[in-house]
Parts: sequence; C-alpha cells; structure tokens
Amino acid sequence: MTAEPLVLGFDTSAAHCAAALLRGDTLVAEALEPMTRGQAERLMPLLEEVLAVGGATWDDLDAIGVGVGPGNFTGIRIAVSAARGLALGLEIPVVGVDGFEARAETGSLAAIPAPRDQVYAALPGEAPRLMPRQEAEDAARGAGLTFAPEASPAGLAAMIARIATQRKDDVTAPPAPLYLRAADAAPSRDVPPALIDG
Amino acid sequence: MTQSLTILGLESSCDDTAAAVVRQSDGDMAKVLSSVVFGQTELHSAYGGVVPEIAARAHAEKLDLCVIEALKEAGVSFQDLDAVAVTAGPGLIGGVMSGVMCAKGIAAATGLPLVGVNHLAGHALTPRLTDDIPFPYLMLLVSGGHCQYLIVRGPEDFTRLGGTIDDAPGEAFDKTARLLGLPQPGGPSVQAEAETGDPKRFRFPRPLLDRPDCNLSFSGLKTALMRMRDQIVAEKGGLTRQDRADLCAGFQAAVVDTLAEKTRRALTIYMDESPAIPTVAVAGGVAANTAIRAALQTVCADAGAAFTAPPLRLCTDNAAMIAYAGLERFKSGARDGLDLTARPRWPLDQTSPALIGSGKKGAKA
Repeated sequence: MTAEPLVLGFDTSAAHCAAALLRGDTLVAEALEPMTRGQAERLMPLLEEVLAVGGATWDDLDAIGVGVGPGNFTGIRIAVSAARGLALGLEIPVVGVDGFEARAETGSLAAIPAPRDQVYAALPGEAPRLMPRQEAEDAARGAGLTFAPEASPAGLAAMIARIATQRKDDVTAPPAPLYLRAADAAPSRDVPPALIDG
Repeated sequence: MTQSLTILGLESSCDDTAAAVVRQSDGDMAKVLSSVVFGQTELHSAYGGVVPEIAARAHAEKLDLCVIEALKEAGVSFQDLDAVAVTAGPGLIGGVMSGVMCAKGIAAATGLPLVGVNHLAGHALTPRLTDDIPFPYLMLLVSGGHCQYLIVRGPEDFTRLGGTIDDAPGEAFDKTARLLGLPQPGGPSVQAEAETGDPKRFRFPRPLLDRPDCNLSFSGLKTALMRMRDQIVAEKGGLTRQDRADLCAGFQAAVVDTLAEKTRRALTIYMDESPAIPTVAVAGGVAANTAIRAALQTVCADAGAAFTAPPLRLCTDNAAMIAYAGLERFKSGARDGLDLTARPRWPLDQTSPALIGSGKKGAKA
C-alpha cells in the first residue's frame, strides 16, 4: 500500500500568510497569520513551522499548491516565486490554484476585493475579470447567489492544498500569477521632433 | 587536495533577469561557468523607461527558467553547488523580492546556504572576478540607475567618495535619445549620433564642477538639452540631422567632461592613500561609451593609475557578479536565513553621509 500524498498549500495574495499541510484528505497542520506587510520575510519560516508541526521535511512532500491570485500583485509574486524556486529544488509538481477555485462555495459568487471599490469575480458563464463591486453584487443577486468578497482567508490554504492534491499529476507548466489587471503604466509623453531633412 | 566553491547567483533588481554559476578553486581566480541574462528592453520600450510592475512580472516568470539554463550551461546540478547567492537590494523592490523568494525556495528545497548580496557590491567586485586586481582600487560605478565613486578596500569594505545627487548618466542618455527620437537604449544610439556631430556648437552645463567634492548631477543637463531642442524646433519647425548629431555631441561632451573632472578629484583622494598598485576600475553600462572610456583612460594615465574595465557583459547587470560577491561573502562565513529581507535601499557605504537628494529615508545606494 502506498502512503497518501503529502501536499503543502500556501497563499500570500492579500494581507495574510496562510499555509496548510494535507495528507490525503486529512489536514495535518495549518497556519494563518494576518499581516499587511512582511510576507516575504515570514512565508518561508512559516512553511517550515507548518512542516515541523506535521513532523515532515521538504523532502517528504509529494506536491505543492500555491495561490496565484488575483489579489495584491506583490503578494501573489511572493508566493509564486517561492513556489517556483521550491519546484526547481524539490522536483515535485507545483499546482497554481486561483482565488476563485480556492474560495468556491456552492451558492455563492466567488469574489475577491480589488482597489477602488472594485472586485475580481467570475460571473456565471464568464471568464474572471475586474469589475465594479456593484456590478458583481447585482449579478450575484440576479443569479440567486450570495456575495461576500471580504470573506476571511480561513481555510484558503487548506483548499489550495486539497485542489493541488487532486491535480498534481496533471501539471504541465510552472504556476503563473493571475493578475487580471494590467500594470499601471502610461506610454512615454515625449514626442520626438520631426526631422526636417528627413 | 584543492577545495573548490561553486555558487549559483540570481539577479533581478532592474530590467535584466539573470542567473549564473561561478566556481573558485583554491588559490585560483574565480571562473564564470555560465552567465545567462534575459533582457526586458522590448517590454519597456513603449514607456520611455523601466516600468517597475512590468519588470517584476517578467522576473517572476523567468527567474527559474534562467536558473535552469545557467545550471545546464555550466554543466552542474544543485548537488555540485555550495550556496545560492541572490541580489537582495538595492533596486526595484518587486523584482528584488521575486529573486529573493525564488532563491529562498531553492535554498529551502536543496538545503543549500543562502547568501544575500548587495547589487552594487556585485558591480564593485567585478574587477576582482575578471582581472584579479588588488585592493584597494578606485571604482566608478556608472549605469542607468547608479553613479558613484567608491574606494574598494575589501569584499565588504567600501568608502563612497561621492555620487550623483539626482539622475544617473545612463538615464540621461536614455532621456536624450527619447527627446531626439533615437532608439532605446540611449547609450549606443546617442554615441553613434555624436560621432558625426560638433561637440562645440552647443555648450551644455557641467554641473557641480564649481564644488571641490566628487558629487555629480545630471538632471539639469537633461533640461538644458530639452530647452535647446525646443528652441531649434521653434525656429525651424523641426530638427535637421546635423542639429540632432550636434545636440548629441554636445550632450556627450558635457557628460565626458563632468565624469573626467570628478574622476580626477576622486583619484586625488585615492592616490593620497598611497595604494600599492594604483588602479581605477569602471563598471555599469555607461562604461561602454568609448568617449567616456577614452577620457577616463587619459585621467588615469595622468595620475599614474592603471585603468581597467571588465568586458561589457560583466559590466552591465548580470548574475555572475552576484555569484562572485556571494562567494566572497560565503568565504567570510556570511549566511542568511529564510527571513532574508529584500531592500529597495541599501547603501554600500553605511558610514558616509547620505547624498543630497536621497530623500528622508536616507541613502538609496
């Protein structure tokens, strides 16, 4: 009999560091620390603590699940960059899990807060995108779904680990951040002068 | 039996994603086994400068691929390495953070020690990697983001004599190219134009030459160039090719004169210390400019100091210099934890006062 797979899930896509260690269906260890900054310093020590609670080391892992966003750009990159580095060294599959899947709940519209009174949401039958909060709220009401974009990140990392457990054998590419919003950048305003002798 | 150290380096502080492997065997000079650089120039070309968020996005999805390529080219695996070195600042923080997190992931997964490296130390120590020049030497670091004079006394012992109080010369070259409709990066295109221009037609300012220190300023030069351009356009309705070449030549002459004079002053301070083998080294992309290089060579010859410039691929941003600086730190026993901080500001010389224009958070670099 083979042991059930050991999978570590983590997420820093908003004001938190979240991690969970799963063996098969069993949650072995979990940690959730709210923080508005400092995720880059805290994430790796936190992961080692979660592994230690589960009596495991990096080498025991069969797969990793990482939250790819949408959310805070820097936060997403912290987790995804760490996951990609871990994948290189451990040679195990890393599954990128987006915030909608990780928050999916029957009867509710998965939505994630975004700046300027907007949310990231996937309306039924549509690709996820950035939209005014009101639009998502109206669509949820119209579809008879509850709408709670400020839901607590409790359970997020465990769900990411759960999804990674299911998909670990289907990984074809490294996880990539899901931004859903272009970088704020305006094209250069310098208009070069005409050459009068062509 | 000889002991050898093999270090993987990662660099992502501006718009180049880079990974490299450097090895040093006992008593020998360090060797670059591989140095892979993925540039991002085309990603930023429409914006007239490096856009930090765009740079960070590219780094996050390229760094690990860059590492794979560097290990492959060097013909080594993680088992052959002794440590992972990574740029931990100063630089555009999103990119630095991506590099630091990727390196932490590799270090945690492989058990390799992690060593955070100051990007500027990477540049400043490159002449040791390429030419094994002895301490202390005078370093002019001159690039798109930096401009400073350092006396390099040891792998972690730097004295900053002065630096720019506003823009770096490379930035001024890029801005000049944009103002005149020349392609980016501005260094090579402005230099090429300047070759057919008359450097005496336009007299641009040589800021801060009236002060005895080693500080520089280039932002007024950009403004002066723009004013002159606008004046010509107002008179003629546009620029002729000759106007453009003359503007470039005048601009470049101002940069050359300023750097030459300030280098002369830095050399005076350095030579007062009676170094055993007086040497001036230059690093950064602007060191590729032939007019600047020629002027610096003359200044050094006049002062009786040797002049050295690493090959361009090790002068501009790369990870071999990070691996090498990491190797030096590793040898001195430095190890960083998985809580290593990515720092946007990280002056090499922590004791000299911050330069004017550094802002209330203190020196950037």
